[in-house]
Amino acid sequence: MTSPSAHPDSDAATAPLVVQDWERRAFRVHRRAYRDAELFEAERARIWEKTWLYLGHETELGPNDFKVRTLGGRPLIFTRDSAGELHAFLNSCPHRGTVLCRETQGTSKHFNCFYHAWAFHNTGEVAAIPDPSAYADEQYKASMRLREVAKLEVFEGFVFVSFSDDVPPLVDHLGPAADYMRMIGEQHVAGMEVLPGTQLYGVRGNWKLAVENAMDGYHFSPTHNTFVGYLRESGFAVDDDDQYAYNLGNGHSLLILTGHGGRISMLWEPRFGEEERVRTAEHRREMELRLGSERAHLVADESHILFVFPNLLLFDLEGLSIRQLEPVAPGHTDVRAWQLAPRGEDAGVRDLRMRTMVSFVGPGGLATPDDIEAYEAVQRGIEATAGDARAELDYSDMSRGMADDGTGRRGRSTDEGAMRGFWRHWVTAVGAGGPTDVGTPPAAQPEPTPLPSKRPHGLDEILAGLETGTEVAAR
Amino acid sequence: MTAVDEALRGSTRTVTRAEVEDFLFAEADLLDRQRYDEWLGLFVEGGRFEIPTTDAGDTPASQGGYFVCDDWDLLRARVKRLRSRKAHAENPASLTHRMITNVRLTGRDGDELTVAANFLVHRARDGHTNSFPGRYAHRLLVTEDGLRFRLRRSVLALERLEAGARLSFIL
Repeated sequence: MTSPSAHPDSDAATAPLVVQDWERRAFRVHRRAYRDAELFEAERARIWEKTWLYLGHETELGPNDFKVRTLGGRPLIFTRDSAGELHAFLNSCPHRGTVLCRETQGTSKHFNCFYHAWAFHNTGEVAAIPDPSAYADEQYKASMRLREVAKLEVFEGFVFVSFSDDVPPLVDHLGPAADYMRMIGEQHVAGMEVLPGTQLYGVRGNWKLAVENAMDGYHFSPTHNTFVGYLRESGFAVDDDDQYAYNLGNGHSLLILTGHGGRISMLWEPRFGEEERVRTAEHRREMELRLGSERAHLVADESHILFVFPNLLLFDLEGLSIRQLEPVAPGHTDVRAWQLAPRGEDAGVRDLRMRTMVSFVGPGGLATPDDIEAYEAVQRGIEATAGDARAELDYSDMSRGMADDGTGRRGRSTDEGAMRGFWRHWVTAVGAGGPTDVGTPPAAQPEPTPLPSKRPHGLDEILAGLETGTEVAAR
Repeated sequence: MTAVDEALRGSTRTVTRAEVEDFLFAEADLLDRQRYDEWLGLFVEGGRFEIPTTDAGDTPASQGGYFVCDDWDLLRARVKRLRSRKAHAENPASLTHRMITNVRLTGRDGDELTVAANFLVHRARDGHTNSFPGRYAHRLLVTEDGLRFRLRRSVLALERLEAGARLSFIL
């Protein structure tokens, strides 16, 4: 499925993709970035084939388990062999290219091709080739082992692959994003695990619209009006003050949020119920001892939306949701989303977590459908300016808060600084040579380091709340 | 969060398949006409609404990822949202068309009836049509003057939600 652009972007093909006008403090992205088939191919070749990609989480697989997953259009088998080692094989028989594993998930020590009955161990080695005497020698037969991706590395349980050898070590690629991923594992003493039940859905929008939306605090109140209303009614005061967006380098970005909802087992709010208040206080005391006060505050009291370029979004909010973006065509993106939860969590908390997280995120929630409506409405709406003789109309505006750029000041979550950081990285990575400057760019200061929010330490808050609310808690 | 309200008196009277079919057909009509308040009235207080993910298997809603796992509070919030002009994903409302067939009474325990049926919902919006085949696996309370949902569960017979097929309406 391709975007049905009625007007070829012939003249537009030479218009600059990303323009930053420092005099007018205007930042504009050419809309062919969302609909052009050649740019889509360039993204596949220059980004998806050359960057670390999020594949899955190590807790999805026990020994000999496998999941079939497509990344950058390439069918893969994500598996763990009997010795515990993780593999990402191309899901294609080395013989004639048949899709080897036609199930979506399961447990097997072998992968068998039905076409000519070639069989492979889940370590990749050839197990059997019928009538092998017709091949030159054993060595030739052994060379037919399953093809693996060029690189696979794991950071804090998050498994990444690269189709190219020419990538930096994963931790270098992640840079400052790594610490926000580490914080997820620190939330609970037993660590986190991916739960069964994957939200698999498609959207009729370009993948970059999903990235923009996640980094866009400006849309929260108008787009999620009905969800904000629900939070307010259930006793949570939603506000956008003291919330900031950061560019973490390599295209990664981060929103630090404190005003959009509580955090199960860490930051209590009335809709979570009184039992959860008592459990939260207990867990916060444990975190304090295990992590120290300062780290516990960072891990527990702030919500984070982390984008790891190009295909991973971590929504560390009321609960934790992992979202993976798989571009299918310029106007079509497949999304896979998993819930990440503490290992061995109390069944009551798990139930609360599922209701709370699913109530917001996912294609059947009270909020995400409005986000999807937004990307799909943009994808349809940008056809209005495609090929217009007034070339300047075919740009989207992301200028909010541009006065902060390059100054070392942090930008508000309700501005568009994180999106600008993403687009500056994208326009370089896709091979278009970087953004086009109008006027003189400021002498660039380093990007600001994320600062802790000013919100009070949640442990003090919940203990104070429990004292004043004892009669409620005891009931 | 909300306890099941048993103020509504259950009954052990006999229920025929025709009565269940009439109940499901009337429900479909309410949903196709976006009469959400009346639809909510088909639930017992404390009723639930679930749509598992396409790969959830037998994972209960309390323990895994779902598309919808509404308790009574969330179900009411969903209805309130759908009635608002600010439910952008359903404003304007999707055009839906429901067919319900293969209705079976699969179990009876006192005042509770379990019901299975096949559904095929077509939904048109924004120039595209998506179809949603699946099965209902409901638990109904039998009363002297009708049936009510204790659990309304829609299980998709799809590998995934196709592009544009978000569940912003009631499936």
